[in-house]
Amino acid sequence: MNNIKSIFSFKDIHVEVEGKEVVRGVSLEVKSGEKHAIMGPNGSGKSSLANALAGHPKYLITSGEAYIDGMNLLEMDATQRSRAGLFLAFQYPLAIPGVTVANFLRSAIKARDGNEESALANFRKELKQKFQLLQIDELFATRYVNDGFSGGEKKRLEILQMAMLKPSIAILDETDSGLDIDALKVVSEGINSSFSKENAVILVTHYQRILNYVKPDFVHVMINGQIVRSGGAELALQLEDQGYEWVRDEMLEKVGV
Amino acid sequence: MNTITLINEKAAFREINKLEPEWLYRLRKRSWEAYNDADMPDKVSHLWRYTDPADFIVKDLDPLRETLPLLPDYQFVDLRQMQTIHSAFGYNTSGRETYAQITPELAEKGIIFKELFSATRDNPKLTEGLLGSLIDENFGKFEALNLALWNTGFLVYIPDNSVIEKPIYLHRHPTGMSTIARLLVVIGKNVEATIIDDYSCHCRHQGAIANSVVEIFAGDYSKMRYVNIQRFSDGSHTLITQRAQIGEGAKAFSVFGSLGSGISKINSGTILNGRRAESRMSGFMLGAGAQHFDLHTTHHHKSDETFSNLDFRVVLKDKAQSAYTGLIRIEKNARNCEAYQENRNLLLDKGTRAESIPELEILNDEVHCTHGATMGPIDPEMIYYLQSRGIPENKAEQMIIEGFMEPTFGRMPESIGTLTKELFSQKLSASRQPDGEAR
Repeated sequence: MNNIKSIFSFKDIHVEVEGKEVVRGVSLEVKSGEKHAIMGPNGSGKSSLANALAGHPKYLITSGEAYIDGMNLLEMDATQRSRAGLFLAFQYPLAIPGVTVANFLRSAIKARDGNEESALANFRKELKQKFQLLQIDELFATRYVNDGFSGGEKKRLEILQMAMLKPSIAILDETDSGLDIDALKVVSEGINSSFSKENAVILVTHYQRILNYVKPDFVHVMINGQIVRSGGAELALQLEDQGYEWVRDEMLEKVGV
Repeated sequence: MNTITLINEKAAFREINKLEPEWLYRLRKRSWEAYNDADMPDKVSHLWRYTDPADFIVKDLDPLRETLPLLPDYQFVDLRQMQTIHSAFGYNTSGRETYAQITPELAEKGIIFKELFSATRDNPKLTEGLLGSLIDENFGKFEALNLALWNTGFLVYIPDNSVIEKPIYLHRHPTGMSTIARLLVVIGKNVEATIIDDYSCHCRHQGAIANSVVEIFAGDYSKMRYVNIQRFSDGSHTLITQRAQIGEGAKAFSVFGSLGSGISKINSGTILNGRRAESRMSGFMLGAGAQHFDLHTTHHHKSDETFSNLDFRVVLKDKAQSAYTGLIRIEKNARNCEAYQENRNLLLDKGTRAESIPELEILNDEVHCTHGATMGPIDPEMIYYLQSRGIPENKAEQMIIEGFMEPTFGRMPESIGTLTKELFSQKLSASRQPDGEAR
């Protein structure tokens, strides 16, 4: 009766950046059809965790386990992780001068699906649809990836990529930051329409704002490289209301400081 | 090591040939003497810091010195070789075989395109006094040799107010050991034209030398585009010296793409000779194996409110080397000029080496001038970004490099741009040669 399955899980993950431990034992299990939010103040290790899981060469996972669809994530390089169904929408997407958005996306799809004519014909059709969905001008396809893009355009392009690549697990790192309210609504709609019972999403954010549009099933609070509290959507509202201080106090109490 | 031979050779040029105009003979003879009188450039001299001049010595000059280029035999012209995308087509295999074709429409407009030696006889007004004036016998030892002994060449003359939409395509394809080539371009006022100067060969033997000199005069308010592609075999040695002098309000776009030759030394420059003249020079070098590239550029501002922009991009893999030196000279009486220079180097392997040296000679205060150079591997974060979208690492690297080059390819006419891009990609994706052996 139940076809809900675990599509992404990690256990006791530790991450180092340039010799410094920034994530200190984080675990999470994500099942299909679930939306998780990881919230936390700046510098709490959220982005480091996201990048380490995606395979960033600078973010070293020093211990722990991670699985995607039952496969060992930590044995894969960034390319293989993407092909296994992981997607990270970057907080600060890089510009790739001279590479057009269309060429970039076509290469990504081609790398995954091979070089079939029909796939490429579909690609064009689909790209057009997604442009409409995210209210992006079609001329966007001919611009160089993130080169001279506004903050909002970069975030839309990240979501466009997600919509095209259809990952089973998407980690969205501060996709809401730098967006005005109209752009936030459009981007949220893009996220929601890509979401189904077959996949899952992890929103990494320090504001509750986007969670009004993309409603999480679970909220996790990350402080000092650890998840210190988990709860439902109401936890996000409480954080919005009271800030992170009370969680921090509670955490300190727990360890008896 | 060659000093003795050179002194011995100093004695004689040759007698005038009855086919040859007297002024040309005198110019050649004078240049031959200048060549012999000039010391061999050494590493101390400015333009020879990075490349050994011995690599460009033609060992046996006798056949070149004692003979003239024959007048071309037009019977051999193969009309199929001119593509409809071009308005004129020039082809030379080695010194003796130089063909020049032009569409009848262009000929009717008074455009002259022909083999250079016959042009010196038929069109003295366009050649005497111009040939060897931008790059004369005192320019340098090898330029003097070129002026004395050139054995293949073209004249392009475009009268005032002509707009030529399709490029003039020159394919230099030497087959012999050594070729000494020359190109003279004389463009009138308000002319718009593109010249593609494409160098290739299948020379198998090591050390075939190509010594080429290009002189371009572009009149007031002309728009001249010159595209130079060097795709010789890796065993050859290439020396190209190019100067363009442009008039008031003229716009010059020069593109230099270097892929081939074991040793390649290019010296290109634009002289901004009239008020508000503009020069944009760009290009790339892609080095692999043990290739050695040496590029010098000059932007010489001689007039008020002139503008220059330079953008050269270098990609090196295996054990390839490159040296870039770029001079911006702004004369004292050339006020309110702008000059920009940028040289970027992508070093893909540890064994590669690149130099980048800006040289500024700015003789007045009323200028706006910037220069910059970057050097290093591809940003690993960029590769990671593409990988995170499922693109394999090597493909990611290739996409980033081709993107890096895109602005340069974009400045070429479509036909040569597409070809160059293909050759570039092939060479880039060819397997690494960790030993640095030239192919």
